[in-house]
This record gives sequence, structure tokens and C-alpha cells, in this order.
Amino acid sequence: MAAPLTLLLIVAVTIRAALFRSSLAELIAERVEVVSPITAWKRVVEGLALLDLGVSPYSGDVFHETPLIIYMFHFLVDYAEITFMVSLNKNIILKHFVVEFRKQKFALEADRYPMDSLELIRSPKEMYYIPLKVAMFYLLNPFTILSCVAKSTCGLNNAVLALFFLSTIKGNVLLSAIFLCLATYQSIYPITLCAPAMLYFMQRQYIPVNFRRVSFWWFIVQYLFMYLGSLFVLICLSFFLLGSWDYLPSVYGFILSVPDLTPNIGLFWYFFAEMFEHFRLFFLCVFQINVFFYTIPLSIKLKEHPVFLMFMQLAVISIFKSYPTVGDVALYLAFLPVWSHLHRFLRNIFLVSCVLLACSVLFPVLWHLWIYAGSANSNFYYAITLLFNVAQILLVSDYFYAFLRREHHLTNGLYLKRKDGSEATLILK
Amino acid sequence: AEWIHRFSLPTCPLLAVLHNENTNFIRIIVSIAGQFFSSGHTNNWAVLVCTSRFWFNYRHVANTLSVYRSVKRLGIPDSHIVLMLADDMACNHRNPKPATVFSHKNMELNVYGDDVEVDYRGYEVTVENFLRVLTGRLPPSTPRSKRLLSDDRSNILIYLTGHGGNGFLKFQDSEEISNVELADAFEQMWQKRRYNELLFIIDTCQGASMYERFYSPNIMALASSQVGEDSLSHQPDLAIGVHLMDRYTFYMLEFLEDIHPASKTNMNDLFKVCPKSQCVSTPGHRTDLFLRDPGSVLITDFFGSVRKVELTMDAINLTDPIKQMEENPVNGEEQKEVYSYADQLPVSEIIHQKPKQKDWHPPDGFILGLWTLILLVFFKTYGIKHLKHIF
Repeated sequence: MAAPLTLLLIVAVTIRAALFRSSLAELIAERVEVVSPITAWKRVVEGLALLDLGVSPYSGDVFHETPLIIYMFHFLVDYAEITFMVSLNKNIILKHFVVEFRKQKFALEADRYPMDSLELIRSPKEMYYIPLKVAMFYLLNPFTILSCVAKSTCGLNNAVLALFFLSTIKGNVLLSAIFLCLATYQSIYPITLCAPAMLYFMQRQYIPVNFRRVSFWWFIVQYLFMYLGSLFVLICLSFFLLGSWDYLPSVYGFILSVPDLTPNIGLFWYFFAEMFEHFRLFFLCVFQINVFFYTIPLSIKLKEHPVFLMFMQLAVISIFKSYPTVGDVALYLAFLPVWSHLHRFLRNIFLVSCVLLACSVLFPVLWHLWIYAGSANSNFYYAITLLFNVAQILLVSDYFYAFLRREHHLTNGLYLKRKDGSEATLILK
Repeated sequence: AEWIHRFSLPTCPLLAVLHNENTNFIRIIVSIAGQFFSSGHTNNWAVLVCTSRFWFNYRHVANTLSVYRSVKRLGIPDSHIVLMLADDMACNHRNPKPATVFSHKNMELNVYGDDVEVDYRGYEVTVENFLRVLTGRLPPSTPRSKRLLSDDRSNILIYLTGHGGNGFLKFQDSEEISNVELADAFEQMWQKRRYNELLFIIDTCQGASMYERFYSPNIMALASSQVGEDSLSHQPDLAIGVHLMDRYTFYMLEFLEDIHPASKTNMNDLFKVCPKSQCVSTPGHRTDLFLRDPGSVLITDFFGSVRKVELTMDAINLTDPIKQMEENPVNGEEQKEVYSYADQLPVSEIIHQKPKQKDWHPPDGFILGLWTLILLVFFKTYGIKHLKHIF
């Protein structure tokens, strides 16, 4: 497993190094699909330059990253390319480990199910290659390559999230809380990943998920204490870096109130560009709640499957966040091989993959037609954005359906029979 | 020859003082006079001529405007520049970038700018007008801006560009000026005491033929190509559609962009501009008529307007009658008042001075706090037993 992984790493690093040195690097670094006003490398450099001139980097609408990023890049700005590649590789290794630890879960489940559904359970032989596939899906995904070459801080976000996954699955409550806190500190949305993390730990520690039990609440209090405590510490520490609180409106205020309406692959910009001021707050709340809203229903439904819940939450965040980029999309796409056993139940995979491919190709085309050639307008670009998001949502819901269906088959057998023995079909109502 | 007498005129006060008995006083005056009269000129003029019209001769206008720009930048005011452009490229209807004349592709330098003063334009640029400007034989109604009002202490820069051949320069595609006519015009200028020193630069094909016939003193000449060679143009700009500059002037402009009023660069460096490898033609120069050694001639003697300044803190009483020179021998001691001319403004330092950037460093408290936390988390995760291995 080490040899193919090393080979993969070498190939990925070569591709990225080659692209870094070519003239495409600047072209990619300014594409709106790859960088957003939060993650753009140009803005990081600008913020550091402002700091060198003695001005707060948060003055003016330039820099929207957290002070810890300032601290990190203050020393690493000359080695930016290497930093991003390192964080990328760390990402991979972490996912690799994450997946390895999933195997043990399957071993636990094997003896609970009726005989004929055994074929649904993956054999260890199949699962042997999943870490490599995950690594391949992430490293060689054109979205990640673009994101890395553009030096967008999305790569760092992904690295922190991967660290969070690793520590959660390894069972370390403190580290998981700390990494989740770091991820939330950078962009607010990973707070929804609290729920699956907590559910996972409770499952590991055999705490039943029951509202009436004290142990349930006690664990939640513990985890939340660690999480909120580290968040508080981080925020205070960031205050001490620059000596002022003006990073709070610049970072969190920016993410939540969406003042910058540069087109990106998300849903916010077009709506808010054409909206009247009177209704702006209302729609802002609606759009933001959309991200957080799915946490509770999904947790209730998937309380026995927290890892899948994590995947779903991650997908929901990537689709509905205020400034998505292709780097966020790549993060949850990388986890698809983990659920390769669901392939037989997926219904729309052909449609989804065609639409995703077509949209990815059409993004730069319609952008060029709109901005440079002037023969299209923003509606064209937004149509493709909409289609892209619809395809993503379809993908996610398809996987959800497939998962639930597999669970049903596991408990009820693969070949469903009615009471009189004839074959039955399963309909989703 | 009469020019020897001519040169001794400025030294007359020197000679007068030399007769004085107080030798120390003399020594000091000599040093001052030497400093003041080392270049011999008190004012600078420039006559910049572009002789060709039509859109495809864009580069000749750009050449002239580049030299105009350098000369203005180095201090010669518009009142001392006679700019003659035979056609208007900036507002030409074929110019895709109106109101601009670029000297380099990628639009790096717009030499037209906001304050270009053209004295002779369009069809006014003729051989007759050019010669009348040089010799000063203009009708009384000519405005001052169209006259070359130079005197015997003026250093004049004359720059010609256009299409030329062996012994002639073409004006406006309809007439020519020959090298003999030009040499005679310069001789008229010399006899009428209309220049102190002249620098003649020509950027045309076979440009060296134009200075072959000069015979007046104090003329230094440069040309972009020898007889039998063509002067070539620099790169074309695909957006504008024409060649933007000629090679010789392009490299000369590059050279001049590094000159500032306090530069000590001399003519020998200008002779080296645009060697054959860059210019394809062989630039030539002629210095035999020039009195001073080209190595002692500063570029700013011709291209700029550099004045010597003496700073004094004393108040000078102008109402007192001037003391006679005979009173000085009474004072036997050395007069230690040494006047020295102030250096030019340290322009090079001012130009290249960047604001001192204080690098921002994160506060120590922050670094301490952050790394303490990281260490704490590390030890909590991996156990306290590692501590004893570290310490």
C-alpha cells in the first residue's frame, strides 16, 4: 500500500509543480471558480503587504482570512507553493488513515445480518484498495489540482477538516474538538460537524443516544466544553496577534452577511445582486439557515451511522456555503470511494456525472462569453451554476438514498419477498 | 584660426586676475573659474525635427517625441525647445489608441503625454523653415516659440529623424536637405555666434553622410548608421499596426531614461549606445571638430539644463560702491574665503529611495501563547511521559 501511494504522491506533486512553473498558474489563480474573496492568495499577499506598511490588513475590503493565517504566512509567504503541497499531502495521508479505520466498523457489523445480504457487506479484499482510491480521487481530481495551483487557502481548510476526521475516527475527543474548532474558526460552517462527531464518539464509547440518559448529556457537555473552550481561546489569541477585534466583522461578518457579490459557483451572488435592500436581511437569514438546517433531521435519521452523516454534512456545507469553490467540492468528492459499495443502488449516477462534467467545462466558456466577448450575460453563467449545484444535490441525495436502501436490505434481506413469496419491489415514496 | 581667440574670451577675467600680485588669491579664483567655465555654456537649447509624414512613419514621430521627453525631463523648458513634427500621429484617424504615441509595444511608455508643445507642425516643417530656425533669419512676425534664440553661450542639441540617403535627408516626401546645406547652416550659426557647442544626432538610413561635410568648430555628431547601411526599425506593435520606434533611438531612449540631472555620464557612453548587435547598422560619431575631450563632456551638458548653484548664508550689500582691485595688495594675509559651488541635488538618492519598510512581526505574547497551547495539546494527546525525554 505504501508503494502505490508514494507513486501517486509523486505523480500528484509533479503535476502541481509543473503547473506552478508554467504560465497557467496566474491564469488559474484569478479564476472565480477556484478562488473566492475569502480564499484568494492574492488577498493574502495584499493583507501581508498592508501589514508591512503598518496598516491593519482588515481595513478595507481586502483580506478576509483569520489572523492565524496571517501568522502562518508571515513566515511562509516565500514558500507558499511548498506549503500548499505539503498541506495537500497531509490531507491525503489523513484520509488514507481515516479510511483504514473504517474497516473495523464493518467487521463489527458482519455478524448482525441475515445470510443473503452478506454479499452487500464488503470483503476485506475490496476494502484494501479504498484508501488508495480515496487518495487518488483527491490528488488527481482536477478541482484539487486547480485549487492547489491557485494557492487558495481552501487547501488549508481541507487539511484541517481532514485532521478533524482523523482524530475523530481515531477516537481522540480532545484533538477532534480542537481541530473542529480550528475549522470553525476559519469558516463558520463546520460547526454542523459537531453533531456527527459527537454521535461517533458516543457510539464508540457505547453511550446510548437517548435524551433521557444522563451519560448522553454529560458527554455532550464535555465535548461542547472542549469545543467552545478552544474556540474562545483561539479568538482571544487572535485578538492578541493584531491587538484589535476588527478581524471579527471582516472574517465572520463577511461570511455571514455576504457583501461581496463576485460570481462564483455558489447560489448567493445572483440572488443578492438582484434583490432589493428591504428584503436582503430576510433572504440572508433564509440562505444561511439552509446550511445549518439539515443537521438535526439528518442526525436523527443517521444516528447509527455518524461517518456517513459526516460525509453528508460536509457535502451540504460545500454546496450551500456562502463562497464555495471547487476545492470544497473536491473535498467531499474524495470520499466517494469509501461508499463504493453503494454503487449498485445509485440511480442517477450517469446523469449526475455528465452534468458535473459538462458544467465544469462550461464555467470558463460562459464566463468568457459574458465578461470578455460580451455576447452572453450573467444569466448564462448563473444557469450553469444552478445546474452544477443541482447536480451536486442530486449526487448527495442519491448517495443518501442508496445508503438507506442498503440498510433496509441489510436488515430485510437482499431479495425482497412478499408474504406469499413472490418478488417485491421497493419504491421510494 | 579665429576660434582660438573665441575660446580665450572667457579666460580674460582670469588673465586679468593673474596679473595681480597676491598669488594665493589667484589660486582660489582660478579654481572657481575653472569650475564655472569647465563646460562653457550657460543655457541649453534643443531643436528636434521629425521630417516624415504619413501613418506608416509613426516611428519617426515617436523617435522625436522620445527625445523631447528626455530633454524636458532633464530640465530644458519648452521655451528652449523647438519641436518640429511633420505629421500628427496621436490624433491620426488610423490610430487605434487616440491621443497617445507609444514608444514600446505593450504600451509601456506614452511619449505624447499631457504637455507636448509642438512648435512647427504638419506642412510647416520644411527645409526652408528648418534652415531659417537654425540661422535665425525668420520674418519679424515669427513668435518667440518658433525661434531659436540661442547665443554664444548656448549648447544646442539638434536631433533629426526621417528617411535619408547618402548626403541628403528627405522632408515631407517632397524635398530634401543636403549635407552641404546643413554644414553651411552650421557655419552661419558659428559666425553669428549662435552656439557654444552643438550636438548633432541623426537617426536615418546612411545617417553618417549628413555629418561628413561639417567644418565649423565645436560640433559633435552622432548618426545611427554608416554610409551604405540602412537604419532599421524596432519591433512592430500588432495592436497599433506599425513599427513604433527605430532601433537607435529606442536604445538611446533606454540609455537616457537612466540619466537624471545629477548624472556624471559622459559622451563616451552615448557613443556606445546601440552596438551593431542590437542596431544591425553601425552607429557612427564625429568628434574631430570638438574642442573638449568627449570623455569630459557630460550628457547633461546637451540633454539637460544643469545650472551651477552657489549657496551662501551671507547677506550681500548691493548699495556699496565696488571696491577697487588695488586695495587688495594692502591685505597681506591669505584670504581664506573659499567659495564652492554646491553639488547638484542628490537626485539619484532621491529617485532610488524607497520608504523604509518596517517589517511587521507578530507580538511575542501571541507566539508564546500559541506555542504553549500547541505543546499542551501535544502532551495531552501523547502522554506526559514524553516530557522526560525532552528535558
